[in-house]
Amino acid sequence: MSGAAGGGSDPETVAPPRRSWGRWFGRPGRSLTRRLIWLASVWIVLALLATGWTLTGQYEESSLRRLGAVLSNTIDEVVLATNATPDGSLAVAEVKDDRTLRPLSGKYWAVAVPTDDGRLRIVARSPSLAGENLAIPRELPGRLREARGATISYNAWGPLQKRLRVAASMKQLPGRTAPVVFMAGIDRSTIDADTQQFATFTWAALLILGLGLVVAVFLQVQIGLRPLYSLRNEIADVRKGRAARIARTYPLEIQPLAEQVNRLLDHNQETVERQRTHVGNLAHALKTPLSVMLAEAGSQPGPLPDMVRKQTAIMQAQVDHHLRRARAAARAQMLGERTPIAEVLDELAVMLERVFGARGVEIDWRAPDDLAFRGERQDLQEILGNLIENACKWARRRVRVSAGPTGLGMMVVVVEDDGPGLPEDQREAALQRGMRMDETTPGSGLGLSIVVELTRAYGGRVTLGSSDMGGLKVLLELPTAEV
Amino acid sequence: MRVLLVEDDVDLSRQLKGALADAGYAVDHAADGEEAHFLGDTEPYDVIVLDLGLPRIDGVSVLERWRREGRTTPVLILTARGAWSDKVAGFDAGADDYLTKPFHTEELLARLRALLRRSAGIASATLTCGALRLDPRAARASVDGEPLRLTSLEYRLLHYLMMHQGRVISRTELVEHLYDQDFDRDSNTIEVFVGRLRKKIGAERIETVRGLGYRLTPLAGESSAT
Repeated sequence: MSGAAGGGSDPETVAPPRRSWGRWFGRPGRSLTRRLIWLASVWIVLALLATGWTLTGQYEESSLRRLGAVLSNTIDEVVLATNATPDGSLAVAEVKDDRTLRPLSGKYWAVAVPTDDGRLRIVARSPSLAGENLAIPRELPGRLREARGATISYNAWGPLQKRLRVAASMKQLPGRTAPVVFMAGIDRSTIDADTQQFATFTWAALLILGLGLVVAVFLQVQIGLRPLYSLRNEIADVRKGRAARIARTYPLEIQPLAEQVNRLLDHNQETVERQRTHVGNLAHALKTPLSVMLAEAGSQPGPLPDMVRKQTAIMQAQVDHHLRRARAAARAQMLGERTPIAEVLDELAVMLERVFGARGVEIDWRAPDDLAFRGERQDLQEILGNLIENACKWARRRVRVSAGPTGLGMMVVVVEDDGPGLPEDQREAALQRGMRMDETTPGSGLGLSIVVELTRAYGGRVTLGSSDMGGLKVLLELPTAEV
Repeated sequence: MRVLLVEDDVDLSRQLKGALADAGYAVDHAADGEEAHFLGDTEPYDVIVLDLGLPRIDGVSVLERWRREGRTTPVLILTARGAWSDKVAGFDAGADDYLTKPFHTEELLARLRALLRRSAGIASATLTCGALRLDPRAARASVDGEPLRLTSLEYRLLHYLMMHQGRVISRTELVEHLYDQDFDRDSNTIEVFVGRLRKKIGAERIETVRGLGYRLTPLAGESSAT
């Protein structure tokens, strides 16, 4: 799942999800979560930026339109108050607008005429200008001519270094051939402040909205992907032997995946069963002829029967060894198996006490009811059957078996007897001896090789010691299936 | 002594028949499961040697049928697979001993002698308590004809309770009668074994009498005749 889990050196353990910011906001890489969150976040940021720009732009524009209306009003008043005298000069009567009378009030007007060099000369101005001029950009006359009477708006610096919005319009007055330019200006600092405030509010609101959306996306991804995490945990459970199959129902999109996993588990099981059956058939096919040879040789004295007996024993050992190898290979593919140890101990005790009943051997076994082995029943039977049978063979009267969990997913099974035991210097050899080629008596020997082989296949351990009952003590560490 | 040999391999059968006859047994031979079941069901054999891999009906099923029909003849099973799961299945079906192929003929003869000694040793009447039945001769117990799988301690516990059924038996008494001198004489372990026995025969059959001990009684509706 998270990028780091896959490359770990130990495929047995599934790394817990990393609870760091990096998991969600690091480079998208191989994480679905990050990919989804990144995509959504980029889209949200772009959409909100566009919205913000549009809103603030529209607000400023509508403010300017309102100013424009005030300015064209003023221009109209000035036009009405202006008369062209017969001598060609202009007379501007009083304009009845208090703000244009008060000096530096922030509202101004001016009347200008084009000069021969293509510039504008101011011929009258509002008292409020207090002798200063309204700024006239160099290109204004040209633009006015092109506009043919329409109003041109521009920004300029006015008295007291205030920003002004200025409107200018070129008009034709009755009784005069040369055009006259009427201009009105107004302080725009109020609407600038308004626009500024509106922008601040807007961006703040959009920022909050954006953060909210990202959080929502994040939650959605987390909740949306939860079935995937849950499926991952179930698969881990199967691996650990806590479950045999994927049991939960998942959303439509991943239910097929869960079903495929189950089908794979079934297929696995079938393959293993088939392999085991083949192996069993082979054993059956080989062992009966071996029995015949052994019995035939046993009934006659001489060197040839001796050799047949010896070779038969070797063949039997070879068959056993390779059958175990084949079974171990099949076993490695098994998942999700769980075998309660108390059941197996009970079966074996019932059986072996009957077999060794003539010698009065008793098996005292103790195991918690809820303790289970993570693996196949047949294998646990094989391991414990060989160990307890061996203990029964050597015991005088008693065999003791006790099993208990040790934590960390392991359990310990101790098998001891009150027989003669095994000297310390022979224990190592007893464990290492894989198959005894010189073994001529079937059923004798310690029978430990299969126990060691199987236990190791399950990641467990076998150690030998001496029991306080006098005999051999075999200490077995095996994996537990968690409840 | 009459022995029934059930084995489908021709050569092995011939050899074993010869060896058994030489050892003084009267041998009958069956080559498949159906014939084996018929012979075992109709003839009074002292011991049966039963191969598990048989044509028609497999050995485990044959054995199960005999036991269900109340045949307690000791049975030694021969298995080629040698896996413990097969052996356990054989014992669940009611086997008394097993040999893994290939084996030595002497080993087989020794095992048969041991089986015959065991079944000849004890001779006492069958005990019953309701649907519970215990046959000391074969060292087997059953509920409603269904064989019970008991360890020897569980068997001794049940035997003792059945011999004294209806009476309250204290833990101390059980400890004294069930354990050897050198066993861990811990009266708590009696509870463990009573618990296991209850699981196998039905919890209601063994009543706990507070502070006193245990009592075996037939279930309501069952007759208590012995």
